[in-house]
Amino acid sequence: MHKTAPHSKAQQSSTRQRALDQDLGSDKHQISPNQKPEDGIHRRDFIKRTGLALAGVTAASTFLPSVRRGMAAGTNPTEITFSSAKFYGKETIAEVVDAYNSSQNKIHVTYKELPPPSSSTEVHQGLVQQLARRNGDPDVFTQDIIWIAEFAAAKWALPLDDHFNAEVMKEYFPGVVQACTWQGKLTALPWFIDSGMLYYRKDLLDELGAKAPETWGELIDSAKKLTSSGKAKFGFLWQAKQAEVLVCDLVSFVGSNGGSILGPDGKTVSIADDAAIEAVQLMHDLIKKDQITPEDVLSWDEEPSRGPFTGGEAAFLRNWSYVWKISQDKANSSVVDKVGVVPLPHFPNKKSAACLGGYQYGVNASSKNKEAAIEFVRWMSSPETQLRFATQIGLCPTRSAVLDDPKIAQEQPFMQQLKSVFIGAIGRPVTPKYPQVALVLQSEVSRALTSGNVKAALQTAKDKIQAIVKT
Amino acid sequence: MAIAEVRSHETTLKPRNIRVNLRRPGPLVLLVPALASIGAVSIYPVLLGLWLSFRDTTLASPTDTFIGLDNYFQLFSDSQFWNAWTHTIQFTAASTLVETLLGLMIALILSERFRGRGIVRAAMLVPWAIPTVVTSKMFGWLFDGQNGIVNYLLRSVGLIQHNVDWYGSPDFALVTIVIADVWKTTPFMALLLLAGLQTIPDSLAEASVIDGANAWQHFWHIRLPLLTPSLLIASMFRALDAFRIFDLVYVLTGGGPADSTEVLSTLTYKHLFSALQFGYGSALATIMFITEIVIAVVFGVFLLRKMREVGQ
Repeated sequence: MHKTAPHSKAQQSSTRQRALDQDLGSDKHQISPNQKPEDGIHRRDFIKRTGLALAGVTAASTFLPSVRRGMAAGTNPTEITFSSAKFYGKETIAEVVDAYNSSQNKIHVTYKELPPPSSSTEVHQGLVQQLARRNGDPDVFTQDIIWIAEFAAAKWALPLDDHFNAEVMKEYFPGVVQACTWQGKLTALPWFIDSGMLYYRKDLLDELGAKAPETWGELIDSAKKLTSSGKAKFGFLWQAKQAEVLVCDLVSFVGSNGGSILGPDGKTVSIADDAAIEAVQLMHDLIKKDQITPEDVLSWDEEPSRGPFTGGEAAFLRNWSYVWKISQDKANSSVVDKVGVVPLPHFPNKKSAACLGGYQYGVNASSKNKEAAIEFVRWMSSPETQLRFATQIGLCPTRSAVLDDPKIAQEQPFMQQLKSVFIGAIGRPVTPKYPQVALVLQSEVSRALTSGNVKAALQTAKDKIQAIVKT
Repeated sequence: MAIAEVRSHETTLKPRNIRVNLRRPGPLVLLVPALASIGAVSIYPVLLGLWLSFRDTTLASPTDTFIGLDNYFQLFSDSQFWNAWTHTIQFTAASTLVETLLGLMIALILSERFRGRGIVRAAMLVPWAIPTVVTSKMFGWLFDGQNGIVNYLLRSVGLIQHNVDWYGSPDFALVTIVIADVWKTTPFMALLLLAGLQTIPDSLAEASVIDGANAWQHFWHIRLPLLTPSLLIASMFRALDAFRIFDLVYVLTGGGPADSTEVLSTLTYKHLFSALQFGYGSALATIMFITEIVIAVVFGVFLLRKMREVGQ
């Protein structure tokens, strides 16, 4: 049957058929590659399902009683579990999962909520403890983009290349797909993207007759004028608390000078190269020399730096996309309609670099129901679901086409403005030892910024990171 | 289950036999639940931590082998460890000393009779009753570099010209954390010392008054010597507790800036739960455990000596 599959899907389907045959042993069955969500189910399920599918997904809820009866008759759906950090907006993730459960009757997903992404360490810890047991629970999980290498190297994440070929992956932003790939294998499926960006006060720059800065020089120039004339209390706010956010800021500064922290091989340490030293020196100078950044950023993470900006005290702010919503909310912001967003500035003749963030899907390599798990992530990452996450929870799609959807223009207009920022976003160092590398960076870059001895601190960082990644 | 049933049959049939059987292991059997729970929640974790500290276990990597004392060698050559160790000792010494002195003063005042003493005694405990995370957030705002009231007050009285960046400066961050801890935990010291003061018989005070001792002599020669055991116990509790300082640092600075507030607990947490280096992190935890024992023993020796003196 799969031979009749249309054009590009044929290759993929036959691979999937093989994988399926292996998974299910001698239990031969038919699948229909033309009806995507039905791939890989037993015939009797399929027959039952087609009857349901006729009614369409939206009407499926009315069929629930018959589904329940079907279950009682002995055709139990495949049970899988899904673990994710907590996100919410107009809808919760649990509600999205429920929608999936009622849209079909062959797979039933149980959702296990982890703490919100602001408690990233706890989410990581919770996931690792579960995955390290290798008992297949949870079958599907979501992971911060920086854990992908770690989970893949530990062989906790199932490689997904057999199920999502290069052609399919072209529908996603290339930077995200790259971040979802470890040693040539796709081990995560994109969910949503976030990145660092530059917020600026349109009204203040208009008064100056200046445009949104493209280089650090332009930013420093405008910021100095605005602070010295008293129009803004602070020039440029960012985050330098000795925490993960410092690594994010570091990546954008270093990247904007064409530098990096680790080479693409994950072994070469380039944090003490000239480009990186120059960039960290700039971070230091913004505080101590140009004085457009208050020393307080040394103890600030995202929220403390956001406050003064939405309170109308700062000209520029580096932060994530969540700030937009707050800045346009009259109850919490005195700069409604006065804020613009652009990619972060760069060094002369270099390119802007935003730090790539966001959570992505992973399938547990020990899952006992891999086919069902893959079906579920396929649905979760589908254009329809991504659109739903974008409009209902405000999570920016990783599919280029979804981001262009008119519904997003209507509900989250700011996301489309950010397309160029997201496309240019670059990942943090890719290594399974990321957590250890990040700890070194946090401590040494904090030292560089407070002591001013940039070169020595970065050299120490290099030595320490080399010792970590070489093993 | 079958055996239990048979036994229960026997008990009903031959009560005398049972009494004889139970007599010998009896007391031990009754201790089993207590011993088992202490073993499970206290002894086993310590031993497991010790065992892990001899291995290179990292949860997210396949390595898990016995490496002897390598973790400890690495630890002793790790500048971050010594940095954290120094901060922990500094914090412990400073907070214990200040809290003991302040606590003693408060205890002396509260042991006097005055109107509204009950209310004052209760009110004094409020800082101690507030969850530490809340205290941390509160001090975060008090010492905020831009809008903090501490900066405002210091500027108003002319002590500083510009705002001090309390948490963003390696020179002030640890001091600020000590201040927060003193505010929070002094009531605890005061409470313990107040209890100690109340064990000193009034007759001694009356006798000293009759002998013509002034207030200072009364305090120095009668109350203080008799209070020493309480002082030692209270400061031992405080020192052991201060040595584990975690929440204030975790909430306020995360160990920064430039590791200037990194203490052993936060460093251990980072290695154990951020980097998931269970082996190395356990070595750190073991060193903390040993240092705590040393502190306890030092205080214990002093305490025993004092108690013997008082006893004589």
